[in-house]
Amino acid sequence: MKTLLETIGLRKTYRVGKIDVEALRGINLRVREGELTAIMGPSGCGKSSLMHILGAMTKATSGKVLIEGSDIAEMNDGELTRIRREKIGFVFQKFNLLPTLTARGNIDVARFLHGAAKAYDDHLAEILQLLMIEDKMGRKPFELSGGEQQRVAIARALAAKPAILLADEPTGSLDSKNSEIVLNMFRELNRRFRQTIILVTHNPELVTYTDRLIEMRDGVIVSDNDPWNTDSELARTSAPSRV
Amino acid sequence: MKKQMIISGLTARPVRSIVSIMAVTLEVTLIIVIVGLVTGILSEKAQRTVGVGAEIMVQPAGSSMIMELSGNTLPVSIADKLRELSGVKAVAPIQLQINMQDGIETIFGIEPKSFDDVTGGLTWHQGRPFDGPDEIVVDNVWAKSKPAVVGDMVELLNHKFKVVGIVEQGKGARVYTSRETLSAVTGQQSDRVAMFYVKLNNPDLVKTVKSEIQGLLPGYNVSDVNQFLSLMTSANITGLRPFMQSVVFIALCIGVLVIFLSMYTTVTERTREIGILRSLGASKGFIVGLIFEEAAVISVLGVIFGIGASFLLRRILTTVFPTLIVDITSTWIVAASVSAIASGIVGSFYPSLKAASQDPVEALAYE
Repeated sequence: MKTLLETIGLRKTYRVGKIDVEALRGINLRVREGELTAIMGPSGCGKSSLMHILGAMTKATSGKVLIEGSDIAEMNDGELTRIRREKIGFVFQKFNLLPTLTARGNIDVARFLHGAAKAYDDHLAEILQLLMIEDKMGRKPFELSGGEQQRVAIARALAAKPAILLADEPTGSLDSKNSEIVLNMFRELNRRFRQTIILVTHNPELVTYTDRLIEMRDGVIVSDNDPWNTDSELARTSAPSRV
Repeated sequence: MKKQMIISGLTARPVRSIVSIMAVTLEVTLIIVIVGLVTGILSEKAQRTVGVGAEIMVQPAGSSMIMELSGNTLPVSIADKLRELSGVKAVAPIQLQINMQDGIETIFGIEPKSFDDVTGGLTWHQGRPFDGPDEIVVDNVWAKSKPAVVGDMVELLNHKFKVVGIVEQGKGARVYTSRETLSAVTGQQSDRVAMFYVKLNNPDLVKTVKSEIQGLLPGYNVSDVNQFLSLMTSANITGLRPFMQSVVFIALCIGVLVIFLSMYTTVTERTREIGILRSLGASKGFIVGLIFEEAAVISVLGVIFGIGASFLLRRILTTVFPTLIVDITSTWIVAASVSAIASGIVGSFYPSLKAASQDPVEALAYE
């Protein structure tokens, strides 16, 4: 399996007043094409910091972040912007749809920024069908339910065919019914399109929808059932579900 | 898509957008109308002076040809000396008085015959020439502005006058009376005047006759009336140029500050939206362009409404005050438009940079 994303000795330190707070303390991680991975841990363990670095939204203090072999830790703001535009799709807990635009407008913004060609239309149509929001395209975010907004956000994130879809607490603002719908859709997107997805959550139920679970605590990975890593204790007991 | 984002950004905050557009409208209107008033009054004054039909104007030393401001210090007998010069067809001695009651206007104290000799005669709408004390003749614009008709009593220089005639505008002043009446009302000597209009047999001999007059009356202001139109600009009148520059500068400042405030507010309000765009891969240039273009739309709409408002205001002003002239020129329309758009660019410069420099993660966390 091709490695899409890899981090080596990733550290992130924030300055809070006069104190340095270490959010990430040496993260080594490898995510392969087509994986559906969950990163779990309590609040403040560094999950969101990791997601922001993997999503090229912020820079690591030290270490390497390789996306399709290119180290984004060495990139300037313009190059990081290009990576976000071309390689990454982001889904947020609070949906983050542009409130002044319709659902269609929100999706079109991503396509416009990416410069997506007509060839992407069929792909988008399939995604909209899978997410069951084809008939919501003319509505503005405030006219949609939370679940519908999140599905529009997922469609927007996938509109430009990103290599990696990052979802930060995607069900954090949804009720259990809508959470289940959204999680099923993530799994379906992964299976149907072999979309590489990394979900961050503190919801233990979410992990039942993923192939791989990475647990974090205090800025480090404490467990990882990477099915391709023979050193992983969990891997020895659970073979990869897809080859 | 960008157009859709700009339109939706403007329509999502209609009050802010409308107020910003109105401020730019005000900026453009202020420039066009104030400049139009100044140039209109000057050019109208110039046309009225040229409309007298004289080729040369003689005034005391140190007086202003442009403003016709000079004391009534010249002996009226100079007229006879001027008439003796070869090439001189007619001479009209003019006594001047500025009336500042209910506006500013120049009153001509004239001898009807000599004035008619120079001007070719006034064109009568109503009434007759003055032939007694306390009688005045006014032009049609003045009569409309008061309003006044023949037979009405009007107050000028704290004195009651009877309107005995109404003439076509365009020959020197708007109000005429006899030199004797004017000097009696103002307490000046009736045989002293402020200037002479000189009509030549051959207008091509202006230079020759002018130098003859300068030889006859050394130290006097002897001016070519035909140069008047070109001299009647704000640049030639002390204080007017700085005044107009100040008006334009203040208008520009209003534009810059309003656009700055508007775009700064919108950038602050839309921090999260900017964060979303950045997370989607929008470059800093895209964000700067978005804010600039939104400011440009506000400015262009303000310019369009400002030009329209200027013409509307001119119509209102000239209806309410018929003696006012608002000269709206294409040069100043272009200048005001460029100034407004430039103020939009300057005003949105810092907010657009602020927007573009926002950290995507911090912007997304903004509540």
